[in-house]
Amino acid sequence: MLEGISAKADSAVEDTLREDTEPIIICREVNKWFGDFHVLRDVSVEVAPREVVVVIGPSGSGKSTFIRCINRLEEHQEGQIIVDGMELGHDIRNISAIRQEIGMVFQQFNLFPHLTALQNITLAPSIVRHRPRAEAKEIAMQLLERVGIPEQANKYPGQLSGGQQQRVAIARALAMEPKIMLFDEPTSALDPEMIKEVLDVMKELARSGMTMLVVTHEMGFAREVADRVLFFDHGRIVEQGTPEYFFEQAQHPRTKLFLSQIL
Amino acid sequence: MAESLPPMSGHVTKPTVHNEAYFDEPERRRPPITVVGPVAWVRSNLFGSTLDTMLTVVGSLFLLFTALTLLQWSVGAANWYAIIFNMRLFLVGRVETFLDLRLSLLALYIALVVGVNLAAWSIVRARVWQLWLAGLVSLFVIPWLIEASIALPPTYLGAGQREIVSGSVTTRPLERVAFIGRSGEEVVFTLAEFASEEELARLSSFTDVVTNTLRNAARNRLLEQERRATIEERLAGQRLTERQRAELEAEWAESELPPPIRETHQVSAAPVAVSVRASWNDEVLASGLIGSGDALRFTLPQDGWYMLEKHIPVQDESIGLLAVAGVYPIFDRSFIRDGERINQYVRATDRLLIEGGRPREADGGDMLMLGIIDHQYKGLRGIDEYLRVMVAPFLQQINRSLAAFSAFIALGYFGAAWLKQREERFVQTVRRAAVWLWLALIPLAFILIIGVGESGPIQASDPQLWGGLLLTLLLTTVGIVVAFPIGIAMALGRRSSLPAIRIASTLYIELVRGVPLITLLFMSTLMVPFVVPSLSGPDSAPYRIMIALILFSAAYLAEIVRGGLQGLPPGQEEAGKAVGLPAWRITLHITLPQALRAVIPALVGQFISLYKDTSLVAIAGLIDLTGVATGIAGQTEFQALRRETYFYIFIIYFIFSFVMSLVSRRVEASGAGAVRRE
Repeated sequence: MLEGISAKADSAVEDTLREDTEPIIICREVNKWFGDFHVLRDVSVEVAPREVVVVIGPSGSGKSTFIRCINRLEEHQEGQIIVDGMELGHDIRNISAIRQEIGMVFQQFNLFPHLTALQNITLAPSIVRHRPRAEAKEIAMQLLERVGIPEQANKYPGQLSGGQQQRVAIARALAMEPKIMLFDEPTSALDPEMIKEVLDVMKELARSGMTMLVVTHEMGFAREVADRVLFFDHGRIVEQGTPEYFFEQAQHPRTKLFLSQIL
Repeated sequence: MAESLPPMSGHVTKPTVHNEAYFDEPERRRPPITVVGPVAWVRSNLFGSTLDTMLTVVGSLFLLFTALTLLQWSVGAANWYAIIFNMRLFLVGRVETFLDLRLSLLALYIALVVGVNLAAWSIVRARVWQLWLAGLVSLFVIPWLIEASIALPPTYLGAGQREIVSGSVTTRPLERVAFIGRSGEEVVFTLAEFASEEELARLSSFTDVVTNTLRNAARNRLLEQERRATIEERLAGQRLTERQRAELEAEWAESELPPPIRETHQVSAAPVAVSVRASWNDEVLASGLIGSGDALRFTLPQDGWYMLEKHIPVQDESIGLLAVAGVYPIFDRSFIRDGERINQYVRATDRLLIEGGRPREADGGDMLMLGIIDHQYKGLRGIDEYLRVMVAPFLQQINRSLAAFSAFIALGYFGAAWLKQREERFVQTVRRAAVWLWLALIPLAFILIIGVGESGPIQASDPQLWGGLLLTLLLTTVGIVVAFPIGIAMALGRRSSLPAIRIASTLYIELVRGVPLITLLFMSTLMVPFVVPSLSGPDSAPYRIMIALILFSAAYLAEIVRGGLQGLPPGQEEAGKAVGLPAWRITLHITLPQALRAVIPALVGQFISLYKDTSLVAIAGLIDLTGVATGIAGQTEFQALRRETYFYIFIIYFIFSFVMSLVSRRVEASGAGAVRRE
């Protein structure tokens, strides 16, 4: 049993290595409007496998909309978004295939309040991946172990603290075995005491080689974990670079102003 | 197995900050007691301010007045025989007798399921069971006590040859009348003598028409006497204007005091000849001439019919009033059993039942019997006679059914509770069973109520005969159970992104909600046969009405469910999409369950209002609970008993609605109904 797992894990690693050369997310000239409001302007980004990209920017700058476009929670109106070789268009099969590749964690957790933590995690795998109940449950327990709250498995979201809920939400996204994880301000709705426990889980995930796109205001996290930082303002990527470059040598005045206000 | 779980570089150590208290908890302190004793409670809650005091006084006076008036009416004047006699009609209408057993089984099954559900979702404290048991036992003990301690008033029967006229009523004493009795019972005949006119006027008991007419005449005379006395008194007063005096004098002159009834009719002046014969062999069991102070007693040899002959042997103008203990009025009913017409006769006071064999006159016709129609309890009762005459028979009528029903609730409860206790994992099993038992009720009710085939244990019943509470509950249940999925579909349809479905759903909902239910009911009787020709016969009337009720409640349920869906945070659907669930799975597993939980109070409200709205079907020709009440008020023997019958269905309607809202409150309060929001 254990051998089987490790053998398969090895082959998965090989797969990932082979794909390393190709970007897993490609955005070209992406534009989006809410009514007349131009939210995203010519956003072009490529994300490599295993890369951790942190998106920062003032509120209303379009950073959340951008990552919501990647799993089609929002529809872009111009440009191309290609995830793992599949283009996001109107083809509903592509959308559902891409969504199965991408896990997402929301600011408000969005756990299903009528299901226990365990049921929250097993719901999608057993329906979409047709996993037998026992197997889905076993994997869910492993994931809960991984995010550090196996003892909360049978509690309802309303009985958990914010930090615990967000960790269940991460486990729920991981249960679909995604290649990419999107985080939309995962710590913004948390008490300061609980932010750390969620960031710890995210750091572990980054170290394990997950491709991650993280919208956050946690500059410490960006500095420590990110491979690249994107700075959004008025729907544009104003500046991007490694954390060292971004926090020490940012060029654009808008970036400097933003950094001076939050650091 | 865990195929492409991203390789881990290490576990996250458990966070060091727990949410549990890791410091020493401080000593517990109770909140200070702010209100001491009942007096302080009364002062702060009832008489807190001047306005509070006024409202308290006005409110309690109103409550007290209403309660006293109702009680006084119920005890003193109300004739509950309309309820006691028509119990079956109230419960099931005129359904065939072969349904009785099947409906009892259904009721007991429901009791069992209720018990299992009680055990599955909550714990009934021992104190409640004790109270319940005490209540049940008292249902048996109280009538027994009443019968042991309070004597029945005698039945008054007139004898004589003269006609009696009072107002528009002209009547003549019956010479022969048949009654039923039980083996070993003692019957006593005496002559009823009245010391005064007042005593005759105040007579209250089972009376025949003659006695009743005499009593009313005496009463009218007394009232007239009082009126004249009042006028005289006022005329004797000083402060009257000319005009007032003239009016009063005219009124006095117009009034006429009837002659004293007791004397003019020579009540019980002459001895009455009485003889009682057994119906089966015509043997004379007792006979004699009963004069003042005489008593004729004898014991009935067996259950059955007896014939009473009474007359005054001398030719005179007197009326003999007999006070007969042990002879009481009879309800009669007839129905078809196994293709034969069966007549049953039931004694009003103790439900003694005699089947068939009513005595005949010499000319072959049925002998007149001591029927409840002409021998109602008349006059103002005291509380003792109320208990003996009305309460005891009613309790005796319902106690066995209630006991059986309760026994099955207890059986279901303790059975399930025992299972639940044995092992932790059985809790879920019991809960699942509780739900499945409800679902199984649907086919079971279908088979037991509707039935199949011409004969056999589940032979088909005639839907036209369904009535009473059975029909009310049937219409409500069908209206809810069938409408529920339709309502959900319409709610989803109205939110659909496909315009055809959205417009069709919206149109349906708005059309149905824009029409009064009564119009829908009438329309259904005319329109349904167009669409489904097989539902055009008179025996499918209930089905046509059901269709109308289903269409009606589906539209309202749709709006309630839509409200619930609308109220969900959009994040729920997004989270479903983000984990890759298809749209219909999101609806089925995520949004719908939450929406339904959120709208439980509104759903129950809709159920209750549908339950009450079924009373409208009476207008469309079905005999539901309300229809039965209207029908009974039209029966000869219970004319002018509208108050009693409507008061009774008022209570039945209320009990069921109250139970429904009680259950809904429990469901809301329990975890199952509460939406566990973050």
